[in-house]
Amino acid sequence: MNPAIDGVAASRGGDDRAALPRLKSELLELNMGPQHPSTHGVLRLLIHTDGEIVHSVRPYIGYLHRCAEKIGEGCDCRQFVVYTDRLDYLAPMNCNFGYVVAVEKLMGIAVPERAEHIRVICAELQRIASHLIAFGTFGLDMGAWTPLLYAFREREVILNIFERLCGGRMLYNYYDIGGVRFDLPDGFAEEVVDFIDMFERKLDEYNTLLSYNKIFIERTADVGVLSVADANAYGCTGPVLRGSGVAWDCRRDDPYSIYDRFEFDVPTGQGEMGTVGDSWDRYMVRIREMAESCRIVRQAVKALPEGPIRTPELKKIVKVPAGAAYTRTESSKGELGFYVIADGGATPFRLKIRSPSFSNLHVIEKIGPGQMISDLVATVGSLDLVLGEIDR
Amino acid sequence: MRQYFADIWHALMSTFQGMGITIKHVVKKPVTLQYPDERWVLPERFRGFVHLDTNRCNACLQCAKACPVSCIYIDTEGKGVDRYMTRYAVDFNKCIWCGLCNEPCPTNAITMSHDYDHALYFRQKLVYEFVSPERPIPTHKQKRAEMGFFVEEEEEDHG
Amino acid sequence: MEQVTALFARIAGAGTLSPQLLLWLGALTMALIMALVMAACAIVFTWAERKVAGFIQSRYGPMRVGRWHGIAQPIADMLKILQKEDIIPADADRKFFILAPFVLFIGSLMAWAAIPFAPGFVAADLDMGLLYIFAASSLVTIGILMSGWASNNKWSLYGAARGAAQIVSYEIPLALAVVPVVLYAGSLNMTDIVVAQQGGIWKWFALRNPFLFVSFLIYFLASIAEVNRTPFDLPETESELVAGYHTEYSGMRFAFFFLAEYANLFLVSCIATAVFLGGWGHPVPGLNFAPALVFLAKAVLLVLAQIWIRWTLPRLRVDQLMHVCWKVMIPLALVCLAGSGVWMLAFVRFA
Repeated sequence: MNPAIDGVAASRGGDDRAALPRLKSELLELNMGPQHPSTHGVLRLLIHTDGEIVHSVRPYIGYLHRCAEKIGEGCDCRQFVVYTDRLDYLAPMNCNFGYVVAVEKLMGIAVPERAEHIRVICAELQRIASHLIAFGTFGLDMGAWTPLLYAFREREVILNIFERLCGGRMLYNYYDIGGVRFDLPDGFAEEVVDFIDMFERKLDEYNTLLSYNKIFIERTADVGVLSVADANAYGCTGPVLRGSGVAWDCRRDDPYSIYDRFEFDVPTGQGEMGTVGDSWDRYMVRIREMAESCRIVRQAVKALPEGPIRTPELKKIVKVPAGAAYTRTESSKGELGFYVIADGGATPFRLKIRSPSFSNLHVIEKIGPGQMISDLVATVGSLDLVLGEIDR
Repeated sequence: MRQYFADIWHALMSTFQGMGITIKHVVKKPVTLQYPDERWVLPERFRGFVHLDTNRCNACLQCAKACPVSCIYIDTEGKGVDRYMTRYAVDFNKCIWCGLCNEPCPTNAITMSHDYDHALYFRQKLVYEFVSPERPIPTHKQKRAEMGFFVEEEEEDHG
Repeated sequence: MEQVTALFARIAGAGTLSPQLLLWLGALTMALIMALVMAACAIVFTWAERKVAGFIQSRYGPMRVGRWHGIAQPIADMLKILQKEDIIPADADRKFFILAPFVLFIGSLMAWAAIPFAPGFVAADLDMGLLYIFAASSLVTIGILMSGWASNNKWSLYGAARGAAQIVSYEIPLALAVVPVVLYAGSLNMTDIVVAQQGGIWKWFALRNPFLFVSFLIYFLASIAEVNRTPFDLPETESELVAGYHTEYSGMRFAFFFLAEYANLFLVSCIATAVFLGGWGHPVPGLNFAPALVFLAKAVLLVLAQIWIRWTLPRLRVDQLMHVCWKVMIPLALVCLAGSGVWMLAFVRFA
């Protein structure tokens, strides 16, 4: 006897079955994905439902597995930067950042000041771009089309800035071991500041259009509540963890690069519309983080020094010394860790990527059951998953 | 009861505010371009299809080594003065437009062009051959100078 | 209808055709005209929807086919959809799968018969017109259920179950919202209702008293739910149920769903125009040559408003949808009904 079915019978008053012995109730097994409009890529959720109520959720992953870690063992460190672009394809700059920081730690080299500033500017712009997608697609999951298009409109400006900077619109391959690959083009700083000025006004528009819309609040408040204990147990990081009210941000609490020089707040979920840790909180943390990123970019642009953009003594082909290094950086999805072990050869001996979406996804098993199907879609949307990073 | 009406009021008001934002955009000029009639001005660093200047290439194989996906195929024949490049092909099925091949090139022969709209019906056609087998390119400096090819300056010896 | 029958009689010569045959000929002609009108409005509104959505979203929408702003896009789409392979899933219930789109289509086609576009321009001037329209348009539920069940797809089934629950529920506020109008007009005949609103903008039922205005709003919102559009597009919910009840449909069969959706959209707007917004009546002097155009203009404005709402709002959840219907709209509609009655007693002298 399926305990879940018994649970259904019990929740209906228990006596239903005795009264209607021939009426068999059965859970419906439903495959949500891998080809489903709201699974953000190729996620497959196997769900059991009783009517609209979801009884169990089980994520199946691996549809986008490209052996990224194994490839990392086969090519030299500069070549692998290209592959980090493809981990979280919505935030390649952040992924580049994580990897180069790990390799630099292993090699023990310092990065020129200018390069550090450029890195921070790009990473924060990329965070805005990534959160814009999260905002837009979350609206789309709720049935609101227009916020997505507005988000893309603003993201487009960031992409144009990046395109002028490094020639790529989506996969940048911009960060280099020991620096960055190109110097800033003319007028870059003004362009960035103009964008930030424009963008800070747009945030209000997003809030009016979506965040504080009554229907949207009804759909997301108290939905998919993730407690702090669960978030810690599953290893959630990033906006998902902060949405539950934990003010943990690698940029502030375990600073890498030059993040300790900038002043910014770590927004957390306050439970304004419902419970702390609900989908609305996770969503709102992202909106507020965009404003914080704007602050960081402003400071970084102002402090941008002149100088080289790559450690001058570094050769074109980078050889890593024997040893091991683990670094964690705050990507737009959460804590992105790279563990590089080298044995002195041309390529790393072993590479392990700790991707934030992977941990964030699996809480769905915990917070998914008991919701309606629509809520499940909302919860998955609020986790902001990128399957490229989960499957690697 | 008060909450009940407050909720209805909030729902109506937030709807009207949202509709106010959307109607404002109707009168604004759209931001999209009418591709292919209008085209985006490509920035200088744009990474389009890989282009090889055969006059400059001396088949040093640096680009093929730098390529993370091994999509550059170079064949040479002969040795020393009589070394010729018989094939230089880029498989754009594999190319990921990372630009890593440009950096080590001693003669700036391989560059990222500004072409991007090369959709084709057959995958085989995406393997671009830059050298025709009938007209192999000499790779030795002396021969190249004789035949009027570009010769890189003599400052350092590239592997 | 009578005019058409008379026309046929005149063409054939008096007495050559039996009255029975004339009746059938007239009915068929009217049905054909209505079907064509439906197809035409689907074509116009798909284009309008895409354009409005485009401009709302800072883009152009279709621009290629036809010289001006992609005006011929729906025609190109139709031609393409006609060429598509007709796919019926192997495990589908063939008979019902094939039948469902037509049931849906016929449901909305039937309701068109009683819409008075202009004085005398109505296919069937029924005494029970309003009741007939609601009865006919509720056939849509059967079409949706049929398609969802016959597709043998779990997502479709969810869509169908949601659709049935939603449309059946929203019929109630929809009908309750027009009852005050019937109270005022003293008739269920659509033409009578429109005629009762002639003579100035303040005669329109939506503006007669505040209760009727709220009734109009309730009708408008319930009608959005009735035609399954955002924020009430639960039967289709792209992001949850793939495409809801028509997930398995493609090609021409899908086109029928599409056609019926837009025809329904226009239908509910036409009903709102006739019942609440004075039908062909208008305040502009000297614009009396084309009452049908005035009627259509009002209905098109309502359709545009629905499109505007669709591209602004997120959608509700199933339980919230029911909450809005049973706990908000129906009580308010009842209050409006009572309020209108009291208002009539207090301020309006009975004729």
